[in-house]
Parts: sequence; C-alpha cells; structure tokens
Amino acid sequence: MSEGGNAGRVTGASIERAPSKVGDDSEFRVLRTLAERFPRTVSEGTQVRPGLLRATVERSDLFGVCRVLRDELGFEHLSMISAVDYEDRFEVVYHITSYQHRLFLELITATPKDDPSVDSISSVWGGANWQEREAYDLMGVVFRSDPKLERILLPKDVLYHPLRKDFRG
Amino acid sequence: MNDKAGPSLGQAIMFRSKDFLKWSDDALEYLLRRSPVGGGIDYLTKDFFNWATRNSLYFLHFGIMCCALEMAVASAPRFDQQRFGIIPRSSPRQCDILLVNGPVTKKLKPALRRLYDQMPEPKWVVAMGECAISGGPFYDSYSMVPGVDRFIPVDVYIPGCPARPEALIDGFLKLQKLIKEDKRGLLTGR
Amino acid sequence: MAEMWINMGPQHPMTHGLWNLRVKVDGETIVDAEPEVGYLHRGIEKLCEGRTYPQIIPIADRLCYGSSMTWSHAYCLTVEDLMGVEVPERAEYIRVMTIEMQRIASHLMWLAAYAGDLGLSVGFTYTMRDREVFVDLLQGLTGSRLTYNYPRIGGVAHDLPPDFGRDAIRATRYMEKRLKEYEDLFEGSKIFMMRNVDVGVLSKEDAINLGVTGPSLRASGVDYDLRKDMPYSVYPEMDFRVATHSDCDCYARYRVRMDEMWESCRIIRQAIEKMPKGRWRVVAPRNAPVGTGVGRVEDPRGEAVMYVVGDGTDRPYRLKIRSPIFVTVSAAPKILVGYKLADVVAIMGGLDMCIGENDR
Repeated sequence: MSEGGNAGRVTGASIERAPSKVGDDSEFRVLRTLAERFPRTVSEGTQVRPGLLRATVERSDLFGVCRVLRDELGFEHLSMISAVDYEDRFEVVYHITSYQHRLFLELITATPKDDPSVDSISSVWGGANWQEREAYDLMGVVFRSDPKLERILLPKDVLYHPLRKDFRG
Repeated sequence: MNDKAGPSLGQAIMFRSKDFLKWSDDALEYLLRRSPVGGGIDYLTKDFFNWATRNSLYFLHFGIMCCALEMAVASAPRFDQQRFGIIPRSSPRQCDILLVNGPVTKKLKPALRRLYDQMPEPKWVVAMGECAISGGPFYDSYSMVPGVDRFIPVDVYIPGCPARPEALIDGFLKLQKLIKEDKRGLLTGR
Repeated sequence: MAEMWINMGPQHPMTHGLWNLRVKVDGETIVDAEPEVGYLHRGIEKLCEGRTYPQIIPIADRLCYGSSMTWSHAYCLTVEDLMGVEVPERAEYIRVMTIEMQRIASHLMWLAAYAGDLGLSVGFTYTMRDREVFVDLLQGLTGSRLTYNYPRIGGVAHDLPPDFGRDAIRATRYMEKRLKEYEDLFEGSKIFMMRNVDVGVLSKEDAINLGVTGPSLRASGVDYDLRKDMPYSVYPEMDFRVATHSDCDCYARYRVRMDEMWESCRIIRQAIEKMPKGRWRVVAPRNAPVGTGVGRVEDPRGEAVMYVVGDGTDRPYRLKIRSPIFVTVSAAPKILVGYKLADVVAIMGGLDMCIGENDR
C-alpha cells in the first residue's frame, strides 16, 4: 500500500487493490495525523467500525483539513455532503472515501444558527460543487467562495429552505 | 348572409393578395364552421374521421417517473400497444394525447402546461398513475401539485402505483371508446 | 460563427426523464454545457421526516424506479446500522440475489434506452423482451413489477416461493445465452461502434475528482466497487470479478455494464446455491435510538449512500440521500465539451440517467 503521497494527483499506479483485508493500521494513521496537524480544531477522532472513521472539526479549519485529507492521506473521493438542522446549530457532515486505503471518513463540522456558513471545498473535490448547491438550496447553509452557489433543485424564485425544521410546507 | 361573411366579391377583386388571403380565410372559416355547409360535411364524414382518429392515437413521448418505464414496456414486444395504433411521438406538434405519467412538481408545471398548449386540437390528456391523479405517495410534499387536473383537463385516469402496462393499454382502449362516443364533428364540434 | 445556447429538455427524446441540458454550440461543436435538474424534486427528504421508519420503504422504492430494490435495501441497511439490528443470514442471501436480479433488469433497461437512442430498434426490442424474464421473477417473489417494497428493516418481507431457485438459475442461463447475442448484435453494428468508440472520454483523474462513481468510474479505469472494497451483506462470500475498462469512452461504459451483467448472473447462482435455511426476518424495534447511521451500497448507477439521524422517536430526524447520478451529471460539462452536438445522445445516454433519484 502506498503511503499517501500525491493522492490528489492520482496516477495509474497509485490506486491499486491492497492485498490486506479491510481495516488495517491506516485508520489509526489517519486519525493520528489529523490530531497532530490540527490539535486545536480536530477532536473526537474515533473508529466507529472497521473501515468507518468519525472526526469533528471546527469550521475555521475545515478547508485545511480537507486539503490534508486529499493530498496527504489519500482521500480522493467526496461521497456526500449532508446538512442537518439541530435545535442549536447546523451540522454539515462530509462523508469522504479513500479509494486506495478503503476507508470512509465522517467529518462533522458545526455552524451557528445565526450565521450558517462554512468554507466551500469544491476546489478540493470538484464533485462537491453540486452537493454544496443542494445543501444551500434545501437547508440554506452558505458555502463561502463556492464558484456557483445558487438554487439547483427548487425554482430560482422561491424564498424558503424546505429542510429547515421551522419550515412548514 | 350576415355581416360576418366579410367583404363582397367586388371589393375582393380590388384587394392586394395579402388582404385577399385574409378574406378567403374568413370566408372559408364562416362556410365550414358556422354555416350549415360545415354541419353537413360533418354529418357525412364524422364517423370516418372518428374511426381514423381513434385508431391512430399518437401520444407524447414524455417520461416523468416510474410509470414512464411501464409506458416503455407497453411499447415493447411483450405488450405491444402499437397493434392498437398507439405510437409514441417526440414532438408535441404531432401528438393527440398528453400522457402524464408521474408527479407534477411546481417547477415542471409551466413546462407541462406549455406542452399541452403546443399540441394541436383535437387532443386528450391521460393521467397515468397515482401521482398524476392525486399526488400519490408524495401528496403532502411542499413542491408537488397534487393532481394534474388542477391545471389541465384530464379525460382518462389510470390508477395504479405504478400502473401496469395492461392498465395503460386498457386506459387507451377506454379513450378510444370515449372518442367513439363523441358525436361532435371535426369542423363544427370544437 | 456565432455561439448559441440550445435547450435539450425537459421534453426531449434524449433525456429519458425530466431534466434539461443546455449546451452552448459553436457550429456543431459543444463549447459549454449546463445541466438543469430539479423538475422531479418531490421533497422526499422532508417527507421522510414525517413518516415512521417502515413507512419510508415504499418511498425509498420510488427513488429510482429503474432499480428500486437496491434503494430500499440501502435504506434498510442504513436504519439497521442506526438501530443495531442483526439481519438473519438467509435474508442476506435473498437480498443479494434480488439486488443482482435488479441490477440485470436495470442494466437491460439502460441498454434498451441506449439502443433506442442510437438508432438500433432491434436492440430495444430484444433487451425489453429479456428484461421481462427478470421482472417476472421479481413479480413472482414480491407481487409487483417495478416498485417491490420487499426488504424490511431486519430482513425481507417473506420467504422465497417454492421452486424460485430453480427458475432463477434457469433465467440466468437464458440470460447468458442472450448476452452473447447482444454482444454480437451491438458490437457487430458499425453504427453503434462509430458512435461509441472514442466518444465522451472522461479521464481517470477527472472521474475521481468530479466524484463520478459506478460503471462510469470503472470505465475510466478505476478498480473500485463497493461490493468488493467495502463489502456489505454477504458479498464477501461471493466469487465475482469487478468489471473495469481503461478506454474511458462510451464504449467502455457499455462494456463495463455488459460485464457486470455476466457477473450478476454468477452471483445469483452462487447466492441460491449457498443459501442457508432459517429465519428470513427479525423484528426490529419501533423506535430508533439517538444517533446516526450510514449505509452505502453499490447501486447499478454508482455509489448510493444514506445518512440517517435518529432522535429516539419512531420517525427519522433527518434522512439524507446521496444520489450517484446527481454527482455524475455535474460532471457532464467536462465530458461533453469538444464533441459534436450529435454525440450528446451517446454521451448522456451512456451515463444511465435516472432522474427520480437525482432530484429526490
């Protein structure tokens, strides 16, 4: 298994089927690296089950963490961005996949109710753009410096964000 | 003759060609649609045109959701609805039937209304599946129009979620019956 | 020559669903493209917050009507992860078998639409005829043709009918014969090959960066299949090969899907042979605990992920659905630019659009 390296610029040889079974020490390497590089903002790094990790990050360091994840830790693919409306905060949950280490990381960041905004990561993973637009459209979370942040599923002229808990259809 | 017949023949000779065309259009319109001549032609030909219409029903190839797959299956070899002359066409200008086979959202509503308006008369609307009839499993959603008959007149409802291909064919046969019982002629009826 | 925007959709024979592709053309060459989706947005994620957990299964079926079994399975996996329910082994085998049948039916539906797009009417009629074999099997099992409502939280709804295994094995043997015929039919057609080979090239780097998953990713040379790499259910027990292709074009996508159908036939037979006796369902709790659950499956169209937040009641607090096609379509401008307007049909058809899951 290759040791991270230039995972963002994947070449033909870097994604190869690792011979070992799912879940080896690369999980702990990911959590350790995140905790060492971002000691103040990354917390609660846990292994939920083999292959699935979970970590919490403060929104100020989200972009940096994502860069490190892609460039150094080999997470090439952003699976899903989901925004959840809790009573006191919005949570934006990123599910990120590593093809080469066969890992799945749940990265949770919280944003306050009165300023629901996080940094856009569509310059890290190109596939994030539409998912950010969707989260903005349905939940009203603003992704700062997203290249094209506008409504995607609902018509352009509606005013509400339907997935918020205070919205009654 | 009443005044609506347009200008007299003497005036027509002095017209330029554009005005003459308009005059002849008006005269034909009067002759065929409002005078007894049109009614007579209708009386003689309506059975024939009715027969031709109901046996060549062209529906709009417009898939929305689950029922669109059953619409495709109905055209496929097993069910073969083309033996009844029911053929999908891709342009609304060539169609008789608007087959609404799925939920209509608020974003789709103007587009669907426009498709309906683009179709030439005579035209019919078939609402296929629960979603098109009443909203189906999504009846209480914020972005749905609960039932296509809120903004388009529907002739045949085909229940089912999704409606089976047999049900679709049965719905078209019902529509054929509806057209057969329609005694209005093509010229004066509409 | 002046550039201009062309709308292809929402009603267009190319779309196979309800979306709008705006392409900017310079003469015949595409210089820019912009997909516009949302015409089928039913607000499923909001609806689910008002339904109890078992009530959501029929709605999950209607997410993607082409492969409803995989979506309701994905939903059940997610809620089982949240509730901590252990599924009996027989149910897992039944699920794997039905999912693979659904995969074949979905790919055949895609092949029929694709053949119809590219002008091969014979391909359309042949594939639709043979899709009925698997639709009939699933209908005999579940009673419905398209939306099955068969998986349950904690198992499946009921056991297999008698002689189902024999019929299913017979169907796979029939299908393998037919697949050979399709390969001769499609690859022997000069028009089909000319419209596919070297059209719609999506490089490996772009495919990974843009989040393309499923057959389109494997056609770009990435050997990644969730059934193999992050196995769920009883896929580790199955012996199958991940279909990949390194040509990155429309032909590669066609080839990957054909190979997947071969492998699915093998998986169905193995699942039937290895299927143990026993219970097929356990009773799941009514209320979910406070917490989150996540489930990922390999849909016929790519990676389907669901994320559920439970708050201790019998309804989910939030259910987020990741649609593979939603992300794949966002990569469409990257694939389309530089090709001719007539290639749009082949390129977008080759991605296997399913708008139901795309818009949710």
